[in-house]
Amino acid sequence: MLQRLAPSPIRILVLRGRAMVALLSIWTVSSGVAQTGGGSPDDPAAIDRHTRGRAFYFTRAVYTDVERRGRFGWWSVDYPKADRQFLMGLTRLTGIDAHHSENPVRLDDPELRRYPLVYAVEVGHMALTEAERTGLRNYLLAGGILLVDDFWGSWEWANFQSEMAQVLPGYPIVDLPADHPLLHVFYDLAEIVQVPNVGLGRAGGRTWEKDGYTPALRGIFDGHGRLLVVINWNSDLGDAWEWAEDPSYPIRFSNFAYQLGVNVIVYAMSH
Amino acid sequence: MFDSIFSFLFKYRPAVFAHGRLGFEPPIPPVVLVVGVTILLAGVLVTYRSTRGRIGRRYFFTLTGLRTALLALLLLALLRPVVVVSTVIPQENILAIVLDDSKSMQLADQGDAPRSSLVSRTFSSEEAGLLHDLSERFTLRFFRFGTDVARHDRAQPLRFGETRTNLGAALAGVRRELTGVPLAGVVVVTDGADNVADNLAESVLRYQSDGVPIYTVGVGREVLPRDIELSRVEAPHQVLKGSSVMVDVMLTQSGFRGERVTLNVEDGGRIVNSQEVRLAGDREATVVRVKLTAAEAGARLFRFHVPPQPGELISENNARDVMISVEDRREKILYFEGEPRFEVKFIRRALEDDQNIQVVTLQRTAENKYLRLGVDDPDELVAGFPATREELFAYRGIILGSVEASYFTHSQLVLLEEFVGQRGGGLLVLGGRRAFGEGGYAGTPLEAVLPVVLPRTADAEFFSEVAVGPTPAGLVHPVTRLADDGTQSRERWTGLPRVSLLNPISQSKPGASTLLTGRSDASSESYVVLAFQRYGKGKAIAFTPQDSWLWQMHADVPLDDMTHETFWRQMLRWLVSNVTDLVTVATPTEQVEPGETITITADVRDSSYLGVNGAKVTASVTDALGTETDYPMEWTVTEDGVYRTSLPTELAGRYDVRVLARRGDAVLGEGHAALRAEPQPTEFFSPAMRADLLKDVAAQTGGRFYTEATLGGLAEDVRYTESGMTRLESHDLWDSPVLFLALLAIVSLEWLLRRRRGLA
Repeated sequence: MLQRLAPSPIRILVLRGRAMVALLSIWTVSSGVAQTGGGSPDDPAAIDRHTRGRAFYFTRAVYTDVERRGRFGWWSVDYPKADRQFLMGLTRLTGIDAHHSENPVRLDDPELRRYPLVYAVEVGHMALTEAERTGLRNYLLAGGILLVDDFWGSWEWANFQSEMAQVLPGYPIVDLPADHPLLHVFYDLAEIVQVPNVGLGRAGGRTWEKDGYTPALRGIFDGHGRLLVVINWNSDLGDAWEWAEDPSYPIRFSNFAYQLGVNVIVYAMSH
Repeated sequence: MFDSIFSFLFKYRPAVFAHGRLGFEPPIPPVVLVVGVTILLAGVLVTYRSTRGRIGRRYFFTLTGLRTALLALLLLALLRPVVVVSTVIPQENILAIVLDDSKSMQLADQGDAPRSSLVSRTFSSEEAGLLHDLSERFTLRFFRFGTDVARHDRAQPLRFGETRTNLGAALAGVRRELTGVPLAGVVVVTDGADNVADNLAESVLRYQSDGVPIYTVGVGREVLPRDIELSRVEAPHQVLKGSSVMVDVMLTQSGFRGERVTLNVEDGGRIVNSQEVRLAGDREATVVRVKLTAAEAGARLFRFHVPPQPGELISENNARDVMISVEDRREKILYFEGEPRFEVKFIRRALEDDQNIQVVTLQRTAENKYLRLGVDDPDELVAGFPATREELFAYRGIILGSVEASYFTHSQLVLLEEFVGQRGGGLLVLGGRRAFGEGGYAGTPLEAVLPVVLPRTADAEFFSEVAVGPTPAGLVHPVTRLADDGTQSRERWTGLPRVSLLNPISQSKPGASTLLTGRSDASSESYVVLAFQRYGKGKAIAFTPQDSWLWQMHADVPLDDMTHETFWRQMLRWLVSNVTDLVTVATPTEQVEPGETITITADVRDSSYLGVNGAKVTASVTDALGTETDYPMEWTVTEDGVYRTSLPTELAGRYDVRVLARRGDAVLGEGHAALRAEPQPTEFFSPAMRADLLKDVAAQTGGRFYTEATLGGLAEDVRYTESGMTRLESHDLWDSPVLFLALLAIVSLEWLLRRRRGLA
């Protein structure tokens, strides 16, 4: 039986740091429309080439979690710095016409369907409402792709799996094979690197959290073999993007995080 | 009746005046006559002047005017007016009588007697009647015509069984036969239902230049009492398996105005479509659009027919057969996208289940970095976008996404232009931040290919969300037709979510067709969304939205809605339709009469799509009995890569043609065609007497048009011509009844007026 470990001091620091980021995000999200590249602008005059006309918007899923924390919720971990930092790398490395700013959208918001790729973190804490499940289900079946990241261990896996079974009942979760096109569409990724959170990364020791010892890249496919959900379990791309500029955070983790992120997006835009 | 009245008044038939010229032959010098009349006129004026006080000014001028007119008419008569006309010398000229021997002459559209009865009654014996009158002045030569023309032995009755009416060939044949002899004219007896009208004008021109008149005798009714006819069926010659085929059927009718009939479509004897049609007014065309699905591969024979209606005179023209070649092959399309964007994903997704379309994607993901999808082998497109004709022309369609013109070398841009113009491929250009004017295509070789007008200056900040709607052409086009019914199709379009444009294109070129437009709510501007034009041998299409994938993803689109997939499948199938192959086989028609010889033409190209001369080209033909015969094809010399042979069709049934082109041991390519040799009721299509055509032929050559009612004047009219051995004849007009009646009228009127005023 897996034991749930007591939070370490480092973890507490990390959590506090995240709380500060979450507080920062309150201001960011409440500024809302002016900062985001999408959502549903109330003012039609705000619809322009930048709010609607770019080829890609890095869209972060806003969802209901087990603690019902709303604006401070688990969805906002690493937000918005991770989003912005990732976008900087994405536009530098590829030819994608990406909007430079974050784009949080609720799963039950019809506007979600304007963004065929959506990113969700800390999905081990998901507690979706029926409207969110329906919204996400329709989104995936219409052709959208969900990338989930930064959830660790068996307990969080079980929760995520339970949620996805309600979103896509009957759709199994399978391992992505090493030769899957997603791993070779832009960068050739020969192995799945476990990307630690910023604290563990700086510490230079273990990279795992809870009982998430081994990273796994998994997926959910539809009956036509189309990839609907990309699952990055026991790994934390968000932190690697967020702290890529930090010299104490190992560059190899950020490199892999960017490479995998770019691959997912290029794949999502072509398959 | 007009001729009779004219002849009574002017002594001679209209033909005399039509071919003659007026003149005067005075017995005494005209000066004497003029002086004499002038003296008389002066006397009249003096006489009436003395009575002016009694009769008033008005009567004075009226009476002097009448007396002056009387003297003028007398002067005219004394000057001896004549009409001088060229007249044939009796028995010195030949007159050709050309009789229509086709099946349409069997129609009994005027009572119970067929049209041919006029020929039998009037043109069979020289002992009496018209032929007798003609034979007194001319040596008669008789011809019969249908598909071709031949001398007619009047001892043998006409059978009226020819399956075509080739009036042009008949006239040309008669002229050839009678070259070098004094030919006074040609009398053609026909209903004018010329169904091989490809050389009539040329033949008529020849007669016109030779000055030989053609006299046409029209037989039959101009409008049939009750008849429905399938005038035309327009269908694509070749489609991919699984395609929805839109076929236009044109119906004409007389006597069934406003009635409803059923149009059935059969495929191999099985009804695959049935529609009720409401017929338009008499002699107006009703066009019906029929949708078929090309489910099975091969040369498919579709029969379109309307069941015979009660009282209908002809039922043979109620059906038409059309052969459509359904190809079960994978058409290869190259989609070059200049940047990662979701349009790639959703277009590929829309086509992934289409077994007949292969989309090879070359996507530039970063500077000098490409993603290749759907390639046949690892080396395909490994060097990027094709730079040679062989490599590029291997595709049948090209899609250019958001890629700037400066990416290509000038040679590649020229190659793209040649891909469309010379190779006959299809080019589709999508909207995007690096497309059209914003991509720098103005002033490049591709600008001429595009069906839209590029603004002179690029607008990198342009953005507009538009609601897309079909034009009238778009409602019926196979790409943009989203439902069987035009109204439903329009509703589906207007129900789609808005898409966005990054290219401000508001104008199509004059020769292009616009199928979709987009209207911006913000500015009320209208933009071109989908337009196309033919360019050289191929076609070029512009689709300006950058995010049509919203028609699949948007929250307002139900999950089971197939609009996006349907649109793109129809678009890409049409993109590669009618694209030329390395060996293209063609016949003038897909249907001939058994016994006819038909020409098979093969266009042979190499991998660069340049014509190949000196190749060994053979047509292997399999007839209805399964016997295969090889026919060597000869290079035409005048056209690069074009080879021909003649195929005799002795047997009725289907003929499958397979053309193989070789150069040495190498096979250049193979092409296919199919045709049928079956008796066709061609004569029963448009069988009404074409009076306008016959009148025109006669008018152009100086002849005249007759019906059975006016045929009596033919013998007299034929005398007056300048063709053949002729002489000039002068005919007096001074004793014409019209002159006498005019004199009488003037005298009578003057006497009445004088009596009223007490002068008589």
